[in-house]
Amino acid sequence: MNDRQGVPTSRTKPSWFKKAMRWYDNSKLFPTTLLIPVLVFFIVWNVVPTLWMVGLGFYNYSLITGAPEKFIGIKNFLDIAKDDTIWHNFGRTFLWVILTTGIETILGVLLGFLFWGSSKLPGRRLALTMLFTPMLLAPASTGTFFRLIYDPIFGVLNYILTLFGVTPIDFIGNRVWAFFAVMVVDIWMWTPFMILIALAALGSVPKAELEAAEIDRLPWHKRLIYIVLPYGKFILMLGVLLRTIDSFKTMDLIYLMTQGGPGNTTELIAIGLWRKAFEGFTMGWSSALALLLLFTAIAFTSVYLFVLNQNKKQSEGG
Amino acid sequence: MTEIRIVNLQKEFKDLIAVRDLTITFPSGEVTCLLGPSGCGKTTLMRMIAGLEEPTRGDIYFDDLKVTNMAPSKRNIGMVFQYPVVYRGLNVFRNIELPLIEDKLPQNERKERIREVADIMGIQDDLEKDITQLDNSTRQKVAVAREVARRPKIILFDEPITNVDVDSKDQLKEALKRLTRQLKQTIVYVTHDQTEAMTLADRIALMRDGAILQRDTPRELYNHPNDVFGGWFLGNPGMSFIDLEIVEKNGSKFIEKGFFVQPVRLTGQIKDSKITLGIRPEQIKVTDQPGANSNQAKVVRKALIVGGQVLVTLSMANRVFKAKLPAAQGFPKAEIVYVEFPMNKVTLFGGDGKRANIQMSVVPNA
Repeated sequence: MNDRQGVPTSRTKPSWFKKAMRWYDNSKLFPTTLLIPVLVFFIVWNVVPTLWMVGLGFYNYSLITGAPEKFIGIKNFLDIAKDDTIWHNFGRTFLWVILTTGIETILGVLLGFLFWGSSKLPGRRLALTMLFTPMLLAPASTGTFFRLIYDPIFGVLNYILTLFGVTPIDFIGNRVWAFFAVMVVDIWMWTPFMILIALAALGSVPKAELEAAEIDRLPWHKRLIYIVLPYGKFILMLGVLLRTIDSFKTMDLIYLMTQGGPGNTTELIAIGLWRKAFEGFTMGWSSALALLLLFTAIAFTSVYLFVLNQNKKQSEGG
Repeated sequence: MTEIRIVNLQKEFKDLIAVRDLTITFPSGEVTCLLGPSGCGKTTLMRMIAGLEEPTRGDIYFDDLKVTNMAPSKRNIGMVFQYPVVYRGLNVFRNIELPLIEDKLPQNERKERIREVADIMGIQDDLEKDITQLDNSTRQKVAVAREVARRPKIILFDEPITNVDVDSKDQLKEALKRLTRQLKQTIVYVTHDQTEAMTLADRIALMRDGAILQRDTPRELYNHPNDVFGGWFLGNPGMSFIDLEIVEKNGSKFIEKGFFVQPVRLTGQIKDSKITLGIRPEQIKVTDQPGANSNQAKVVRKALIVGGQVLVTLSMANRVFKAKLPAAQGFPKAEIVYVEFPMNKVTLFGGDGKRANIQMSVVPNA
């Protein structure tokens, strides 16, 4: 440094531009500017439509009658409350959410545990990759495929069944089978996701604890309860949360397979809503229902987050 | 009672040989400490004994049973890990009980064993507490109790004290000491802490670079290391080493003048023209007054170390070495002190760093 003394440096007084830039860098304006694109996007595509929907929920507004929209207060909501179909749809949806998420979670954890324990088996990587493919397919193509597989006349499943002497069953056309047939497809599609989550959860378990359990000769279910779950439950809960929200709005898969039928045995709330909105074009009524769905989803999430926080408090308290 | 016999054991990782063609027997019913610096392969060796790591070559026997490729759960061993491993959601009692249930012990037997180990480890008042309420050192005690209660034939400890806070270290060490004196199992204890090894071990196996350099009682290992490394690694500070010339006179070999007052003749297998004298710093006698067997040395540096002992760096005939003075003696008063190397405390090492088979004898008028 000393030998530079007296030598003119290239550093000159900051110009007004540099001054302004420096002020801009130091002020809070800078991070705000960075946020603007996201904020604009979020407001235009998220906030405005949501508010629009909330507003529409209080209007009688149909796209086909051509009549001007009319403010009717909470009449839409009262109509929904009185509508038996909606309540049935709700009930069916809850059953759907509980069964699919539950089975996917249990299968995911068991398979994940199995995969993770077989880390030395050859071909494991290939099997994992193949297992994850259902998740990578678009629900639309999965629905179409399974409609073909389930087909009573030229479907491969019924072909296999006939080999065993079973008379063909119209799985998705049958009032009893349809719901479960569709459920199986959802489970087929989303169990890999829960396996992935389970593997991530297992990855968070300290190696020494598992080694200790091995030396202590604990059977696998005790290892799961006393070691894997205490560490992995946060990640696992996150998976369950995501699956719950997702399965609550299941729509495309079922619509492609059964369109909610036969009768309305596979009509989940999202499909009911879609029909009212884009087949019946009763926009006001549909907006009201959508608002109710939003609140239900928020309620679901809050319960999970509450449980998650309780768990966290408990383990931090120790 | 089970002895652990290790035959030509080798473990290679990608670009590292962790354990090198090792053959050793851990006698049954003894506490053997594997002592060595980080990365010397001691933990890898222990993990192979436990079955958590597969050897590249060689075999491990428990008595006559070959266990080289046996699953850890089949080996009937206990192991305490560096981080306290406890089972969550259970209280202390249930934690210790869990492996006992797997052994299908009746309830009253389980209770009795748990009481017993809890007493030894000093956790009898914590039995009803939830495991998450306990601090690390108590958790580690629970982990130790759990492994001991099962009464496996072999118990392995992998640096169990390292991750416990300083205050609890001594307490845990004491509990372990009590425990190891009562147990009749074969115990292998891995540590890089020499004090720990000195306190707990019946024998210490000193490891370096994947090989065991020496296995001896702590006292023997400390006073007569087979190797320069052993001398340097043990003790705080380690041995003082002084390279000395060997001079020839009348057909006999002598140590160069200046270190011993009287001529010292060397006999035995003398290969080089130099020899390394090793001595524990506290065994060097340093006085302010000249004595019959002492030589002059200059004080280079003084420092106070734990326990009031004084560590001085001395210079004598152009060699610099360290000596430790007892607390009662205090700092040397002058720049010049008088130094004596008691001949029976001196260990001689050859040029290869190994203990040399050379005897010293005083020849007064040579």
